[in-house]
Amino acid sequence: MNYSRPISLFLLVLTGFMLYACSKNEGTNEPAPVSNDSFKTGMLTHYADQLIIPAYANLATRLSALDTQINAFLDQPSAGTLNAVRPAFKDAYLSYEGTSAAYFGPAGTLLLNNYLNTFPVAPGKIEQAVATGTYNFELPVVNDSIQGFPALDYLLFESGALGKFTGPQATARKKYIREVMSRMKTLVATTLTQWKGTYRTTFINSLRTDVGSSIGFLVNQFAFEVDLMKGPRIGWPFGKLSNGIVFADKSEGYYSGLTHDLAVANLLSLKNYFAGEQGNGIADYLVLLKKEAIAKQVLAQFDVAIGALRAIPQPMAASFSQNPAQVEEAYRQVQKLLTLLKTDVASATSVQITYQDNDGD
Amino acid sequence: MVIEVPGGNRPVSIAPLVTFRITFGLLMFFSLLRFWLRGWITNLYVTPTFHFTYWGFEWVQPLGNIGTHLLFSLLIVASLLIVLGLLYRAAIIVFFLGFTYVELIDVTTYLNHYYFISLVAFLLIWLPANRHYALDAHFGWTTRRHKVPAWTVGILRFQMGLVYIFAGLAKLNSDWLLRAEPLKTWLPAKSHLPLIGPYLYDEWVAYLFSWIGAGYDLFIVFFLMNPRTRQVAYLLVLGFHGATALFFPGIGMFPYVMILSSLVFFSGKFHSRILSFLPGKKKPTPPGAFRYIYPKTMTVLLAVYFFFQFLIPLRFLLYPGKLFWTEEGYRFSWRVMLMEKAGAAYFTVKDESGEKSYVVNNGQYLTPLQEKMMSSQPDLLLKYAHYLAGIFKEKGLENPRVYAEVYVTLNGEPSRLFLDSTVNLAAQNLSWFHYPWVLPYKNDL
Repeated sequence: MNYSRPISLFLLVLTGFMLYACSKNEGTNEPAPVSNDSFKTGMLTHYADQLIIPAYANLATRLSALDTQINAFLDQPSAGTLNAVRPAFKDAYLSYEGTSAAYFGPAGTLLLNNYLNTFPVAPGKIEQAVATGTYNFELPVVNDSIQGFPALDYLLFESGALGKFTGPQATARKKYIREVMSRMKTLVATTLTQWKGTYRTTFINSLRTDVGSSIGFLVNQFAFEVDLMKGPRIGWPFGKLSNGIVFADKSEGYYSGLTHDLAVANLLSLKNYFAGEQGNGIADYLVLLKKEAIAKQVLAQFDVAIGALRAIPQPMAASFSQNPAQVEEAYRQVQKLLTLLKTDVASATSVQITYQDNDGD
Repeated sequence: MVIEVPGGNRPVSIAPLVTFRITFGLLMFFSLLRFWLRGWITNLYVTPTFHFTYWGFEWVQPLGNIGTHLLFSLLIVASLLIVLGLLYRAAIIVFFLGFTYVELIDVTTYLNHYYFISLVAFLLIWLPANRHYALDAHFGWTTRRHKVPAWTVGILRFQMGLVYIFAGLAKLNSDWLLRAEPLKTWLPAKSHLPLIGPYLYDEWVAYLFSWIGAGYDLFIVFFLMNPRTRQVAYLLVLGFHGATALFFPGIGMFPYVMILSSLVFFSGKFHSRILSFLPGKKKPTPPGAFRYIYPKTMTVLLAVYFFFQFLIPLRFLLYPGKLFWTEEGYRFSWRVMLMEKAGAAYFTVKDESGEKSYVVNNGQYLTPLQEKMMSSQPDLLLKYAHYLAGIFKEKGLENPRVYAEVYVTLNGEPSRLFLDSTVNLAAQNLSWFHYPWVLPYKNDL
């Protein structure tokens, strides 16, 4: 029998396979799907149109309202104008928590959450930046931040804040705040534009569950945010890493006293994302995968954790020292939620909790 | 199987060995290049501050950013030399040592096909694969030979057979056959695939795939060995591994390794035809087959090698408990795609009196991939606990105690406590015996 033809054909097919295997990069530039899965498409459309895009739009609106109040205050610094900033700041910060689950795609590329809400704030670095006028907001934030919500939180609401807006340094301080504010607005506006533009299609068409897919992003981000709750939001300020030595000033929204509200808002928003509406969330996807028990368990644990957070007396910063039992309980419940997300949910949806692309077997 | 001892030294065509050498080299060349281009050298061997070393190989450490990249460059050059058959013996030794060194750096990067590649590279050191269609023979640096002892080809077939059959035997368990796990979990996630996508939510598909997979692994070798069924069997090889590549792109090069390596089952005539496409003037070949100087020694060494190749995958029988849960005797046994397992591990370090207590932020010491792998494997959890004890000792904590609260889900079972969280892991030793602090597996289903 003449082998040469089948062999050439075989080598051709194999080369094609190899090129395919080698060229495929990280799954971000996937071609449009050739098949469809109407449930997944519906779910992702729902996430884009009903949750993520409205969340960024809301954040953009709130930031612009905050900008107005901040400008009014900077034009005429007084206790009155500063008090008017407070509710606008709270609204904007809480609405940010509504976007936290979407830290991928445009937000991921822009490092949005990193720039907007890395805490603790670095008061020393900020004061130096204001004094010298040299700082670079484009550098990724590593440990502590000089920009975003934490910077505003410190600059506007630390106990002696108002006094620093009169006197020799006032002009530099005002300029700094305006630049922080303007950067926040620009970053959010860019994210929103990209979501409304091409990324929405990319997101909805990504029907896989591997690293870089939409479902992969969502599940990873649920776990990531709950891990942040267990760590920087409550665990670390509570002294979990430091043998019980409390670092209340390292908590989120410490100076404005919003720590508690932000934590609750964050978990409420995550639960909302997990549940979806009208049968269109990851919870419903689990039901479709015949894992209804896991979906119910996670939703119930969200409620338990939110309840435990709410049971911590306000202000949270004081409770870290004064009501350790309640904080400990909330910490335990958040850890339980994290376990469910990292193990049961990730397994059931075939999602790897890792941002790294790698081979497996 | 293939090494019929009486005829083990009878001369056969060298061609299958040559094709194997060339395809192996090409495959390694592309794999290494792909690994580099995806940034994995940096992610896996440069970024991490801590590595999960193999017991007894703690001295194997990454060589720094430049050093590790140089090592990979060396491996890439070596794979090209293997393809060309140029300085073959040196190249394959360098490749074997270098590749194995890289694999020994971190247990969390362990993959069965990397182990397979190390083994094959080791075998190739001893085989006369550069005696034909090789620059070594072309330049006359080594005598050209058309015939080699039958076992030099048979040994590669035998190695392939071991992989397939042990992989098949590993699938003969209740999770795989009776619950269709983990495919029941994994297939619905592939509903984006054309044509078959919608069916992947159906359970019967998972059962069908599971049973086909087990049957394929157990019997494909026998059909590849039989000349009458070989062509159909190879179509099955293409179909099966093509499908796994399509369904599970995450397994990387494995399907291509198996597709190309399985060519070794074809006859010398078949391979001679393929090789005749290669360029180069045909020079006269001296009469006579390739012979080893010490055939007896080779036979003994081979027997020892394959004795261990049998023993290692069976060592799990010596351990109590469910293998998938404890993973004692799991690695180096051709257990591929058998588990959907995920864990969450929370470590607390205490001082000797238990008064001081520090929760550990794993992200501070491990990459996400390392943390994921560590969270469900007892020996890695123990290694990490020892590492943490060292870190906290340096920080000034005397006789640190390390406790782990670990939850693991296995093949669709609800997540459960994995280790005895009251045991001080810092005081437990790495061991080849069963770890009593791993809690027994429980099954609700």
